[in-house]
Amino acid sequence: MADPILSLTNVTVKFGALRAVDSVWMTLEPGERRAVLGPNGAGKTTLFNAITGAILPTTGKIFFDGVDMTNMPPEKRAYLGVARTFQITNLFGQMTVYENMKLAARGLSPSKFSLFGADTLTSEQEERVRSALAASRLNGRENAPVREMSYGEQRQLEVAMALVGTPRLLLLDEPAAGLSPAERGYLAEIIRGLPRDLTVVLIEHDMDLALALVDTVTVMQNGKVIVESDPAGIRTNPLVQEVYLGRPHKAVAADLEGGN
Amino acid sequence: MSKIITDRRSFLKSTTAAAALVGMPAIVRAQGASRPIKIGLLAPLTGVIAAGGKELVEGFEMYWEQVGKKVGDRAVEIVIEDDASNPDTSLQKARRLVEQGNVDFLFGNILANTGLAVANYVKGTGTPYFIPVIAADDLTQRTRIPNVIRVAGYTASQTARPLADWAYKQGYRKVATISQDYTFGHEQCGGFAQMFTELGGKITQQFWHPLNTADFSPYLGQLANLGVDAVFAMETGADATRFIQQYASFGLKGRIPLMGAMNATDQSVIRTMSNEAEGIVSCAHFAEGSKEPATVKFVADYEKRYQKLPSIYGFSHYSGAMWVAEALKTIKGNVEDRPLFLKTVLATELKDSPLGKTVKLDAYGNPIYDVSIRKVEKRADGKLWNVPITSYPQVSQFWKYDPETYMKQPPYSRDFQGIKS
Amino acid sequence: MSALFTSPLRIFWLALLACGMLAPLFLPTYYVSVATQILIFAVLAMSVDVLAGFAGRTPLCHGAIFGTSTYVVLYCAAHAGLPLPLAMLLGVLAATVLAAVFGLLAVRTSGVYFLLLTLALGLIVWGVCLRWTQVTGGENGLRGQLRAQVGLSSRELYAAVLFVVAIVTFAMWRFVRSPFGLTLRGVKDGESRMSSLGYNVPLHLIIAFTASGYFAGIAGALYAVFNDFVSPSTVQLSQSVSGLLMAIVGGIGTLFGAFVGAFLIIALEQAVSMFTERWLMVLGLTFIGIMIFAPEGVLGKARLIMAARKLQK
Repeated sequence: MADPILSLTNVTVKFGALRAVDSVWMTLEPGERRAVLGPNGAGKTTLFNAITGAILPTTGKIFFDGVDMTNMPPEKRAYLGVARTFQITNLFGQMTVYENMKLAARGLSPSKFSLFGADTLTSEQEERVRSALAASRLNGRENAPVREMSYGEQRQLEVAMALVGTPRLLLLDEPAAGLSPAERGYLAEIIRGLPRDLTVVLIEHDMDLALALVDTVTVMQNGKVIVESDPAGIRTNPLVQEVYLGRPHKAVAADLEGGN
Repeated sequence: MSKIITDRRSFLKSTTAAAALVGMPAIVRAQGASRPIKIGLLAPLTGVIAAGGKELVEGFEMYWEQVGKKVGDRAVEIVIEDDASNPDTSLQKARRLVEQGNVDFLFGNILANTGLAVANYVKGTGTPYFIPVIAADDLTQRTRIPNVIRVAGYTASQTARPLADWAYKQGYRKVATISQDYTFGHEQCGGFAQMFTELGGKITQQFWHPLNTADFSPYLGQLANLGVDAVFAMETGADATRFIQQYASFGLKGRIPLMGAMNATDQSVIRTMSNEAEGIVSCAHFAEGSKEPATVKFVADYEKRYQKLPSIYGFSHYSGAMWVAEALKTIKGNVEDRPLFLKTVLATELKDSPLGKTVKLDAYGNPIYDVSIRKVEKRADGKLWNVPITSYPQVSQFWKYDPETYMKQPPYSRDFQGIKS
Repeated sequence: MSALFTSPLRIFWLALLACGMLAPLFLPTYYVSVATQILIFAVLAMSVDVLAGFAGRTPLCHGAIFGTSTYVVLYCAAHAGLPLPLAMLLGVLAATVLAAVFGLLAVRTSGVYFLLLTLALGLIVWGVCLRWTQVTGGENGLRGQLRAQVGLSSRELYAAVLFVVAIVTFAMWRFVRSPFGLTLRGVKDGESRMSSLGYNVPLHLIIAFTASGYFAGIAGALYAVFNDFVSPSTVQLSQSVSGLLMAIVGGIGTLFGAFVGAFLIIALEQAVSMFTERWLMVLGLTFIGIMIFAPEGVLGKARLIMAARKLQK
């Protein structure tokens, strides 16, 4: 077994008296695809924010490839190779796709400090933009203003921007939220097509989509990890059926079987 | 006010509004003796000292109306600009008057910083600039500008010295001062403090408060317990009104004699007051309650014209206008010959001013006055005014010091009050 | 640079602009001084726009930064006897350092808190200028004869200011179109996204604040030579507000709108104050009118109209 790319040791995030994330241990191998599931308020997004640095854990440690990044600000994590998308589309709405990509491509390069230089990318950055756009199936859309794109395209751009820095860990925060079934399928293909050595963590409400994409599933409830298993195990796990969304077994089972 | 608008219109006629708006060249001014003499009057018509600015314009216009708005056969045109009580605006308006309005000379301003800004500007252009109210000592002392003359004006410290002498003669030995914390205050207090201590008196304490102080009780409480023989207060405008009222309501009136620098009991302050201001002693070259026939006539004329007693702003600009007009008469209106004009103004002795006595300028462009010690009294009709009780003849801005020696001491400031211990 | 000269229409507009800029040289001196003032304040307004329009942080302290430079130049040249170029250099330096300090203090706030914090910082400068009488001359301010010292007539001064302003404007144009400029627009649009992409948002804002203060400092140094006088009214809040108003009237985020704003506000002030003392009221009403009918500012509105026309074609 390779050294873990990401490991969380006993991570707790408290908001006042509320333990939004409660003593979570988690280990990801390089290239692993992981989904984090759970009902609303289970602590998925808080856990996510702790990994990306948007909030700092109250106790516990987070290691990335052996480096303790528990208290690093988001931009330092980005330099280590952590990239993320946002649950609510968080693009630069006043800009074009290409400008969004430029900002993303330059995020880790000292050229972002050029105060009077021309606003062009190096050929290497240009290449990365091109391949990230291709991987997200947005090639040809460079000059589209972001605010005029469909929601699905905006989600694709979210992924493209996260990819352009060639990260080693990609965190996708509900990438398919708000998309039509057709768009979801399209997005699932994009995610499936990501390079195999890229580690991906995914929060998703769409069970079907999530279970079809990942190797391992972590189920959370009330801030705690209650089950960790492969997708097949999740479908049959009675505990998951019992707690997931607090619904009767039959409904949950139907949901997990793929009815939506 | 309507007068101002008329002047504004005549000003516009000479340039045309359209030209001003689109920035086209102003119509080239007609040359020759038939051209009117053009005076640029800068007055704070808006901002903190707007009330004084209005009186300034009134006094100035009253003189020119009395003489039919002309000097000899040359008509006089007055262009009034609002300096907004702000030095930058004042500077900008001075530029406009000189460079666009082509005025022959500038007149006016009230606040020292507005006057200093304009003085610095005319230092470069050579435009004559007359300042009957700008009292900043150094404008006619250490940093004198030859084309800036204080016709019918005064330096801040000038009239405070005779008051110090008078105070000493009253037997006062310990005096506390309270003053607005800015240059005009520092200078008036400095004149008083230096004189009083040189005579052997003691300045027990000096209080400096920010402009626009609403509540004087912290100062009054201390003043009450210092055991001083008298208090010297340098206040202007609304601060003066508030200070005098609170001095009385604090029970200090009648207990500790109150002396004021000239502006503290000016008409602009006491006009709206009653008993609380009565009895305050101050000093100035002008006293509206004087029995001098010339003064009586001026006050009556002014009261008839504007339904109020003249303040220092109105008086100074009336007399200042007269001074310059006398000089222009001497040179037959030849305002174009600047050196001659300035020399003549400096040499002119003002005979018919409301003061009733001949006044002349010293070599530095500041008048030498007979200074009155005045007391606020109630006139028969109940109005308050300043009545002279004694007089100090021929008081110059240098008192009895040698000018050169005097100017070697630093200008008065918070830190330097010329106090001899 | 080459992009500037692509179409004949552009060249025509640029030629027209050049004529407009040179025209004041042939006007009476008073208008020359008004034109000089417009140029100087346009730079102040552009420096405000760099923060307000590009980084999304609206400052209320740029008058104080501008005025600090003016104070330093006048003090150094007129009172400490330094040569004018050195004095101006020191003035710009002082403004830049002050802006860096302000930046450090203010960049972690945003919105109305940023506005209020910068307002308070500006008030501190005003208070210091008013109270530190030995150096600043208190409410009487500092005076000098800088223009006479270097022997510039008002037309020559206009030409010199035009030259400097042209260079500064070009530099600022490059600045907002540089990678860093794009970064600032990114910060304005989404800070959390920027930090997840690897951008240190506060650091970028400090740099932006400092650069913006540097430009304001250049304007302030020019103002010292132009005005030969500085008093606390140059660093007071209303100065910061008028810089911001000019940027808003011209069009926030348009950069060059600052020239339109400075021209409109100063020319209007000049014209209206000839007719009435209530010119501030007229100015206020005009401003309200612009906010209602062209909230994107004059240049912003013009651009929108042009874009709409292009679409119709």
